[in-house]
Amino acid sequence: MMRYALRRILGVFPTLFIIITLSFFVIRLAPGGPFDEEQALPPEIKANLEAAYGLDRPLTEQYLRYLSGLVRGDFGPSFKFKDFSVTELIAQGLPISLLLGLSAVALALLVGIPLGTLAALRQNSPTDYGIMGVAVLGIALPSFVTGPLFALVFGLYLRWLPVAGWETGQLRYLVLPVVTLALPVIAYIARLTRGSLLEVLRTNFVRTARAKGLPERQVILKHALRPALLPVVSYLGPATAFVITGSLVVETVFGLPGSGRYLVQGAINRDYTLVMGMIVVYGSLTLTLNLVADLIYGWLDPRVRYD
Amino acid sequence: MHSTPVTGSAARSTPAGGAGPATAAPVLEIEELSVRFATPDGEIPAVNAFSLAIRPGECVGVVGESGAGKSQSFLAVMGLLASNAKVEGRARFEGRELLGRPADELNQVRGSRLAMIFQDPMTSLTPHMRVGDQIAESLLRHTSISPAQARARALALLNRVHVTDAERRLDQYPHELSGGMRQRVMIAVALACDPVMLIADEPTTALDVTIQAQILQLLAELKRDQGMAMVLVTHDLGVVAGIADRVAVMYGGRLVELGSVRQVLKAPRHPYTQALLRSMPRVDEPADAPLLTIQGQPPNPRRLPPGCAFHPRCSFAQETCRHERPPLVELGASRLACHFPVPAPATPPAEVTP
Ligand SMILES: Nc1ncnc2c1ncn2[C@@H]1O[C@H](COP(=O)(O)OP(=O)(O)OP(=O)(O)O)[C@@H](O)[C@H]1O
Ligand code: SF4
Ligand SMILES: [Mg+2]
Repeated sequence: MMRYALRRILGVFPTLFIIITLSFFVIRLAPGGPFDEEQALPPEIKANLEAAYGLDRPLTEQYLRYLSGLVRGDFGPSFKFKDFSVTELIAQGLPISLLLGLSAVALALLVGIPLGTLAALRQNSPTDYGIMGVAVLGIALPSFVTGPLFALVFGLYLRWLPVAGWETGQLRYLVLPVVTLALPVIAYIARLTRGSLLEVLRTNFVRTARAKGLPERQVILKHALRPALLPVVSYLGPATAFVITGSLVVETVFGLPGSGRYLVQGAINRDYTLVMGMIVVYGSLTLTLNLVADLIYGWLDPRVRYD
Repeated sequence: MHSTPVTGSAARSTPAGGAGPATAAPVLEIEELSVRFATPDGEIPAVNAFSLAIRPGECVGVVGESGAGKSQSFLAVMGLLASNAKVEGRARFEGRELLGRPADELNQVRGSRLAMIFQDPMTSLTPHMRVGDQIAESLLRHTSISPAQARARALALLNRVHVTDAERRLDQYPHELSGGMRQRVMIAVALACDPVMLIADEPTTALDVTIQAQILQLLAELKRDQGMAMVLVTHDLGVVAGIADRVAVMYGGRLVELGSVRQVLKAPRHPYTQALLRSMPRVDEPADAPLLTIQGQPPNPRRLPPGCAFHPRCSFAQETCRHERPPLVELGASRLACHFPVPAPATPPAEVTP
């Protein structure tokens, strides 16, 4: 298991490197640059600005400089938020985004797996149909519909929770965004769990467990559930990507000062360093969660540790 | 020919030769068992009016082609049928009815007094649990020993089923073991609580020939040493010859012939049994003697032929066979369902003579 883990951890770095390199050059392919304003700047001022940020250098040199900065933990200055470094900008928004995203994934697992299990154990009962019906809705409805709906019902109408906004340390502000973001993931995980548990319940080793006279609870919890969760764990990677993109929408809907907006604004403004910073951070995040998923997978299924 | 139709209650009598006291009450008594599967395109009758009594310490071989209903009959007894199955009939194990009982009641018997092993050892063990834990689990469920004692007992069981390097195997996962080893582990799991009866459903079919022989030898040894009753389900009459005391032949979900190994193998009365025997290689015939295969396909339980289900393939078949199903009748210690049986040899085999 240790060797397996080590191999997986080391595998993250080349992937991250490829992501950084590709994004660095692809961003530059987009027409326009950070200093192309509505009213064009006088050429000499623009040239001065570009020289100040090193944009007049050959692209490969810029790339190498960016990399060496990264290694030292320096994401460079933002081209648009003039008085801030990219690190500062990200440090402002990221904690909220992280809290939002990770809570959503955690909630999705905590709710989705039990719901899926319950549906499988009560296959073709009203409980099953109820859970799966809600799951279909949860997957079909986009967050820009469910978000305002929740804000309307629980915020404006019932007044249980704040409609939108953010106050540091006030977790109430996170409840609706987290639920909105998690809903499709809960639905998807519930469906995955149900389908895969039903399949595992038909396997020979579950029949063996029953032939041993084990109580059904033990058959499910000790024998069936672990292999049934493998597809769920595999889905954690894509789920993370989904939550990251979803958080851009949800942060906007609920007016959360997360870091998602920097990705959009950065891209529109051709704020190269800011976009790169976001890509590096979100890229590492996705890779890390994929890694965690891989490690859990290896723990769940001893066969994958040896290959 | 004098013959008596066998009804549910009559099935209880007339023990044939074999191990165990002939007068002892059966360990397992299956009566008029039927299993039907509900499917979107109608019901499939997989087992029909199947009756069989197994006495303490005896081994009954159950043979028949694929789809004959062998597995489903005994999965029904264990309460392990798929959820679309409907079961009728009775199956008393040590005097206790098993059919239709709730799982928690069956669980007092399953894995302790009555154990079962399956055809495919590669997939019959839980992949993420260590072998030792899978054996110990049964013990912890059915006895009140400590985990440490259970582990010690698991080790002893692995040695008992001749798993080499048993101490190390305890902590291995199933995928680290070969097929033969895994089937030995399955047997160890089954033996954990000293069952009075073991149902072995084609325990060697998935294994290669040398391993098959070893596993069969192990089963024979266990039967001899533990005095366990055994049901050995198999395609292969040759397997039965070595271990079983009696043979039950199934065709199209029904019992068609039952008798002592000796009688059935030496002087089969049912044309199907005869055909089965002719289709298997014999040691007492020259190796190049032509091997006959049974003509035609095994019947599809969805569309069982009317009358005798074997008639489309039977060389003895006559008009009656197409319309009238032959009843299962007692012939001395044997049972037979055929309108026109293979003539008995002039000197009947010793055990069958009363
Ligand atoms: N869940 C199910 N739904 C529908 N039909 C089923 C189901 N399980 C088994 N059957 C059918 O029941 C019939 C009897 O099957 P069974 O497993 O008893 O055969 P078998 O004699 O053990 O054959 P084999 O030697 O291939 O194991 C088969 O035709 C099979 O297709
Ligand atoms: S009843 Fe008829 S068809 Fe069936 S086995 Fe006997 S002779 Fe053949
Ligand atoms: Mg079978």
